[in-house]
Amino acid sequence: MSDGQQKKTFVVTRFDPDRDEAPRKQSYEIPVQPDWKVLDALNFIKDEVDGTLSYRWSCRMAVCGSCGMMVNGEPRLTCKEALSQYGDTVDVGPLANFPVVRDLVIEADGFMEKLTSVKPWIIRAKERAVEEGPMRQSPAEHEEFKQFSLCINCMLCYSACPVVANEPEFLGPAAIAVGHRYSIDSRDEGAAERNEVFRGEGGVFSCSFANECSEVCPKNVDPAAAVNQAKFNAVIDWATGLVLPRGGDE
Amino acid sequence: MSRNAHPDAMAPSKPGRTRTAPPQLPDQFPFGGRYLAYTLFDLTGILYLLLGFLVLCAVWSLGSGEAAWNGVLERNRSMLYVGFHAIALVGVIFVGIRFFGFFPKAQPPRIGPVKPPPKPVILAMLYALWIGVTAFLSIVLAGGIF
Repeated sequence: MSDGQQKKTFVVTRFDPDRDEAPRKQSYEIPVQPDWKVLDALNFIKDEVDGTLSYRWSCRMAVCGSCGMMVNGEPRLTCKEALSQYGDTVDVGPLANFPVVRDLVIEADGFMEKLTSVKPWIIRAKERAVEEGPMRQSPAEHEEFKQFSLCINCMLCYSACPVVANEPEFLGPAAIAVGHRYSIDSRDEGAAERNEVFRGEGGVFSCSFANECSEVCPKNVDPAAAVNQAKFNAVIDWATGLVLPRGGDE
Repeated sequence: MSRNAHPDAMAPSKPGRTRTAPPQLPDQFPFGGRYLAYTLFDLTGILYLLLGFLVLCAVWSLGSGEAAWNGVLERNRSMLYVGFHAIALVGVIFVGIRFFGFFPKAQPPRIGPVKPPPKPVILAMLYALWIGVTAFLSIVLAGGIF
């Protein structure tokens, strides 16, 4: 390590549930390389300075969605954020709006429960026999939901959403976006089931269209669009149900 | 990190075995950075509440005789009232522009076989409608039609 090498100070949130009453800040001054991402700096701290630092990461290519953290107060995928865009001091904390398990690791079980509740899989009224061959889908039909299928469940949208911060029941942007993605899939027949969930407590109508989820989404999924399209579909489904009893069209 | 979010925000239905630190609000919420526009958008609700109250007062005075109604007209000329309406106008324009910006992407991919028009067309229709209604009401209020 030469003296001329650039250094940055990382102010990292630390929390040990066995020892700390509340999260605290710890500073690390480390040498950095021009091509580093924020995650590279955390890995350097973990490997060379303080092996007790805890955080999640995996793929290093903005695909797995593991390494979401607050970087200078903004929800970011640390493997995607170039370190060069930040100043001499970089503040790194756990995702906002989530309970913190340890250091930069958040409790993700609440998110998994919300995600599961919207049934994020293709629902068929009757399973298709293998002999019937694959279900066909045109490029136009695929295009309708493709954008929403790009969600990597990184939870940055939850960290930016002001409704999530104040309304624990709210399903949240990613869960609704993924549920909506299946509801508008031409192969799916479970939209009515999901609309029941969407219209329920903490459903789509809790969203106040702050649009912050779409602002921070690293994959340009635009969850705010999905949530508000889901509102429309939930209302249409409700209104249709008043006129046509469930199953009346069969 | 600054203030706590709701203590149960994003908490699982059954607490885990490990003690957790409470969820924190984003640093910038509610008046900093990206949240300012959203907060101002919501705060305009206060303007609408006051405007609604003033309209109700005016309607009430209509049923209370000519003197009461003349009092309302006199009050409308005060600088305080005009200033409030100027602020309300700014609020309405801000809300309109923000709402129109979000409106196109809230449209479903299609309603039956019908697909919504492209975003620029939706925006043009919204602004044309807004300007048209404003112009019509202005002409009516100026006594040009009725």
